Amino acid sequence: MSGAPLISVRDLRVGFATEGGLVQAVDGVSFDLAPGEVLAIVGESGSGKSVTAQTIVGLTRSHNARIEGSVRLGDAELIGASESELRKVRGERIGMVFQDPMTSFNPVYRIGSQIAEAIRAHRPAVGRDEAHEQAIALLDSVGIPDAERRVDDYPHQFSGGMRQRAMIAMALAVEPEVLIADEPTTALDVTVQAQILALLERINRERRLATILITHDLGVVAEVADRVLVMHEGQIVERGSLDEVFYSPQDPYTRSLLGAVVRIDGAAPLRPPRTSEPLLEVTDLVKHYPVRRGLPRREVDRVRAVDGVSFSLRQGETLGLVGESGCGKSTLCRAALRLIEPSSGSVRFEGREIAGLSRREMRPLRREMQIVFQDPYASLNPRKRVGQIVGDPLKLQGEASGGELRRRVLELLDRVGLSREHYDRYPHEFSGGQRQRIGIARALAPRPKLIVADEPVSALDVSIRAQILDLLAELQEDFGLTYLFVAHDIGVVRHVSDRIAVMNAGRIVEEGPADRVCEQPSDPFTQKLLSAVPIPDPRQARARRQTVGSG
Amino acid sequence: MVAFAVRRLGEMVGVLLAVSVLTFLVFNVIPAADPARSMAGKGATPQLVASITEEWGFDDPLPQQYLTMMEKIFSGDVISYQGQEDVVDRIVEGIPATFSLCIGAAAIWMFFGILFGYLSAVRAGGLLDKVLTILAVAGISVPVIWLATVLLNYLAYKTGLFPAQGYVGLTEDPLDWAYHLILPWFTVAVTLVGLYSRVLRSNMLDVMSEDYVRTARAKGLSERQVMTRHVLRNSLIPIVTLFGLDFGAMIGGSAILTEAIFGLNGVGLYAFESIENLDLPPIMAIVLFGAFFVVLFNALVDIAYAYLDPRVKLGSSAR
Amino acid sequence: MASEPHAEVGPAGSSPWGLALRRLRRNRVALAFGVLFVLIVLFVLAAPLWANHVADTGPNQTHTLEKIEVDGEQREVVNIEGKPIGPVWLGADGKFFLGADGRLGRDEMVRLMYGGRASLFIGFAAALLTTVLATILALLAGYYRGWVDTVISRTLDVIWAFPVLLLGIGLGIALALGGLAIGPVEIPSGSIWITVLIIGGVLVPYMARPLRGAVLSLREKEFVEASVAQGAGPLRVMFSELLPNLSSTIIVFFTLGVANAMLFEAALSFLGVGVQPPDTSWGSMVGDGFDLISSAPLLTILPGTMIFLTVLAVNVFGDGLRDALDPHSKVLLEVHAGVAEPEGTAI
Repeated sequence: MSGAPLISVRDLRVGFATEGGLVQAVDGVSFDLAPGEVLAIVGESGSGKSVTAQTIVGLTRSHNARIEGSVRLGDAELIGASESELRKVRGERIGMVFQDPMTSFNPVYRIGSQIAEAIRAHRPAVGRDEAHEQAIALLDSVGIPDAERRVDDYPHQFSGGMRQRAMIAMALAVEPEVLIADEPTTALDVTVQAQILALLERINRERRLATILITHDLGVVAEVADRVLVMHEGQIVERGSLDEVFYSPQDPYTRSLLGAVVRIDGAAPLRPPRTSEPLLEVTDLVKHYPVRRGLPRREVDRVRAVDGVSFSLRQGETLGLVGESGCGKSTLCRAALRLIEPSSGSVRFEGREIAGLSRREMRPLRREMQIVFQDPYASLNPRKRVGQIVGDPLKLQGEASGGELRRRVLELLDRVGLSREHYDRYPHEFSGGQRQRIGIARALAPRPKLIVADEPVSALDVSIRAQILDLLAELQEDFGLTYLFVAHDIGVVRHVSDRIAVMNAGRIVEEGPADRVCEQPSDPFTQKLLSAVPIPDPRQARARRQTVGSG
Repeated sequence: MVAFAVRRLGEMVGVLLAVSVLTFLVFNVIPAADPARSMAGKGATPQLVASITEEWGFDDPLPQQYLTMMEKIFSGDVISYQGQEDVVDRIVEGIPATFSLCIGAAAIWMFFGILFGYLSAVRAGGLLDKVLTILAVAGISVPVIWLATVLLNYLAYKTGLFPAQGYVGLTEDPLDWAYHLILPWFTVAVTLVGLYSRVLRSNMLDVMSEDYVRTARAKGLSERQVMTRHVLRNSLIPIVTLFGLDFGAMIGGSAILTEAIFGLNGVGLYAFESIENLDLPPIMAIVLFGAFFVVLFNALVDIAYAYLDPRVKLGSSAR
Repeated sequence: MASEPHAEVGPAGSSPWGLALRRLRRNRVALAFGVLFVLIVLFVLAAPLWANHVADTGPNQTHTLEKIEVDGEQREVVNIEGKPIGPVWLGADGKFFLGADGRLGRDEMVRLMYGGRASLFIGFAAALLTTVLATILALLAGYYRGWVDTVISRTLDVIWAFPVLLLGIGLGIALALGGLAIGPVEIPSGSIWITVLIIGGVLVPYMARPLRGAVLSLREKEFVEASVAQGAGPLRVMFSELLPNLSSTIIVFFTLGVANAMLFEAALSFLGVGVQPPDTSWGSMVGDGFDLISSAPLLTILPGTMIFLTVLAVNVFGDGLRDALDPHSKVLLEVHAGVAEPEGTAI
């Protein structure tokens, strides 16, 4: 990568005035982007990576933002440039792709017209029809089948992966020199992510398009980046080539980040075989949702969320349930817990059939099976104090009250790594990881035998994930818990499970011991899933690309 | 889409049916007084009461009473005993004035409401925004009875700038028609301008923080293009539906106070006079008339919304 | 022990209510109007004091043929042509401070104060009734969904279908003049409670629909699922999980409900189907004075201005309350006497 840098950032500082004071999101960042290279900016939430990227094109300007420093694009200085000057840069010299393609397109305009809008904003001479034709060509170039028909679709008619392709097409519409992709695959399934990364890699290669890739996923970085910047709390703590950063990281934060990554190819910690009685036995579980259309509302179709699933869970073991979005794993575990009513099938808990029990009969059983949720923000009642949230299950079951209740709650808080003084606080005062701990304490309170963990670490930063997974493992040891661990990240699942079940379209397509499923998958879907997972190891990633052939 | 429209209009019929039942209950069943007496109104003689009882079937069982009432109203066979006139005819006579008032006011309130809301949102937090917000809140706090009487007194009676009362038909003399309507239009529009500017401002601020607005900027659109093509366009959709509901309600009789105070010979004024005289048959008929328009516009609004928001039209679960 | 390296949390006492109070305190405009409202309330509460100690007359006492001494001069309360005396201010030691009202020669200031009591009382009571009913219906419809929701929503739709003002008028005529007699419940025709019931009832759909929407979206949150997983029954979920999260919205809706109820009452009383004599309210005073608008404009302007100021104060304060309690609220309530508004949400 030779030649003068395309973009030169020097001492960039961005601060926001908020209710609680000045938040310095970017604190003295400097770097260059060379022509044709893929520069990855890696960091966790709050590191300032997105703010940096958006500030380059002036998208963070607002009345409460304080921006200092310099960003040069070739000869032009972008910080402090007028809006009309920036207009000429946005889209024309620097194209941007954002994280969530669903919300990044205007839902009321057709895809084609939004792409055409991007074209005509910079090439006013292009007429409507011509812009439409160009839009079709662009969609085709990013691999959207049947582009001529699909160009007139609305955003919600596209699947997630296709929308992101369309976004990329739109960003490249007038052939900019630089592409900034801000977490472009975070909202996508693993298999779709692999396709989009392959697309980005192809575009970079074919057009020599310099790319800044913002992400928190080290696996993604290892797949596509040439150079890496690691950001932490607004500053760049490490920089270098891909191999340099991955294999000889200098900064302690980088090292801890790399160490915390849960890898699919790492062998699971050795676990003694479980031979005890089945705790939970699910047989032919089905959950269908009817789709009604027409004038007298008739059922025309069914959404087969769970389409005949059977598995059993032995006491003390961890069964990992993995699949992509929409495969039915969340619905399955809720149906097994009777949080949703199964359409048919049997669920036996400790030998007893629970699928047909009334609410009153279920009540005492609820003590035995609890659930930890994915979203640390929506899973805690914002109007209740922590002590109340964790103590509620005990109160509901009538197990304790008053001083005894408080004592047990404090004990639980302690057990999950929180402190006594957190008892009286409200959820909004805690970080994501801390909130998950509260959720875990709440699940533990009634001393259940079974805990269903529904994507418990997906919403957390990489470094926090490891801590929470360790906590869950510890608790399993200490309390003899049985886990049904649901996730879309097969690396995480392998790390914690004894056995793994892979779900697709409402059915379990493969099941077996964790190591076997991950190393010698027999089902084609499992194989596809495993090969799509980005490995946070550049040498292995290169090796795999060579054997498979380019995307 | 067609299936949706048909279903929606079918629902409308259902609601109207329920509305008619409710009207029936309100006027004939709930009050402690004898409905025939109430209908006869002032100057009720025993013979009149008896003949009304016979004609409307008040001695019959309730369901039969309901059917009789519906029949009479639909066939236009409703007579005001006090005014000795055909109710439906009078209502029809009043329509031009009411429509003139509503349509003119609607044009004013939409124009200024959207304008002020847009300016407020674009300059949110600034001085203009603060001033417009104060005006908007004042607008929605103003009691119509006060505003109308104040305007009438100072701008009409005292200074003679505007005609005091009365309605002049559009076809007779367009200028005079407008001249007589300026104060009433203003009265009706004030409250709604305040409301619409606030709703639009709120919608626009919400939309401005959406991802697709950021995408629009990142594409290189000018600020004005971003504001009109993306922010305003999307923010107006709920406004359009709101407008449909308000307009329907207004024609349905919510302009009664304005018509009464300014002496505009519309349906509202007729309602006002009937209320003063406690003349029941016209009131019943006007209530049904009003409900009809509200329900009609409700259904039209739903259909329009499905048309404007492609997610609804094509069957996904947006709304 | 997997404990957090940075187990810091914010300053203690950051309960949602505490934060809200702090935000409200910073909003000077809202506070100023809140004070205005309190002053108006004090003003109307002082009615008996004024009537007994200053004006020496009640709100319904007529003084048609009397004369009073103003600054040494004898003047008629109501002259031969029927024109009442204008504001006397302090000329007669406070009697007829604001003049007399029309041919009946009643003390306008006293009536203004007593009228305010009715207007404010009806505004509050009706808004309270609406809020309670709307909350219960919204919780039931939103929690149970299914047929419960269908029944409730359709019923509300039917009420919604009537132009608000006409429905109020219709009910007013039927009930205010005839009294209410349903089963064991009997309310005499002149009672102020009839007006409260009418306004409170008619406004229910306008509040229940946005609340129902809020319940529906809250219900999907995982903390509600967590509660069910612990064995909580419907009542517990509704009152312990859903209701506390609706409380901000409910409070704001209540204040806006007061504003709208007062405007509604003013319209109804103006038309003669709201508050009935001998009771008086600001709205009915405007109605009374309407005929004398050219000769004695103050009779309509004064009560109208009081309505305007009170409603304005409530609205501004309500806005401030909303900004303080729920700065990112997307749920809107807008109602007008005569005009119907659903929630306004952007795409």
